[in-house]
Amino acid sequence: MTGGDKSQSSSGKPKVEENDSPFGIWLSRGLHQLFDDVANEPIPDELLKLIEEDRNK
Amino acid sequence: MTFHDQVIAILPKLRVQALSLTRNRAAAEDLVQDAVCNALAAQNSFIPGTNFSAWMHRILRNRFISDLRKRRETTDIDDVPAANFASPATHEDSLALKDLSLALSRLPADQREALVMVVIQGMSYEALAEATDCAVGTAKSRVFRARRQLEAWMTGEMPSNDKLRVKVKALREAIDARHRDGKSADDLFLS
Repeated sequence: MTGGDKSQSSSGKPKVEENDSPFGIWLSRGLHQLFDDVANEPIPDELLKLIEEDRNK
Repeated sequence: MTFHDQVIAILPKLRVQALSLTRNRAAAEDLVQDAVCNALAAQNSFIPGTNFSAWMHRILRNRFISDLRKRRETTDIDDVPAANFASPATHEDSLALKDLSLALSRLPADQREALVMVVIQGMSYEALAEATDCAVGTAKSRVFRARRQLEAWMTGEMPSNDKLRVKVKALREAIDARHRDGKSADDLFLS
């Protein structure tokens, strides 16, 4: 979709121990619980209309 | 994929970034809309084939900073109501999650943003650096400091000047005590 997230290199990834520590796992789960809903909500019609109107200019 | 298709496709990620910066859902929606308006107005400055994701995230970030500067002329940022990351109460019903939400709201915005973009969006440090217009070392440092600070707070290391957390802890204990006694705790929220 977008270039930014695909340009990962192994050196650019967070260290394994940071993610796999008990706290790291708990933090990741907690953040997903707090943020996943927002990412998955439908896009407001008003915003889509704004973009489509600009596309059709 | 056209420019406009790319804008639509990245909206969910912009929302997450906006929420991480503003700490408030309504403010995040406004920020995304404003950033999209800015991007549409500046679309001729985007060079096709370059990193659209980073370009768009930078626009949102710059808009946030610009709005913050304007607000600071009249209000103190610390007066802004704290965390409202997850509005559905059923999703935030554990004390630990509430504590995490509170702790997140106390992190500096750039650290919170960096942590969320790496953990939720799976961004590499390089992509984060490009999206937030900083050096890779700075991006790494922000994520590291955010993790370290949250771990310290969540595992009970409480700075002596952390008045908010002390106050919240005392309030929770008072509420629990009232509930144990079968009494209402509503008046505690009025003081």
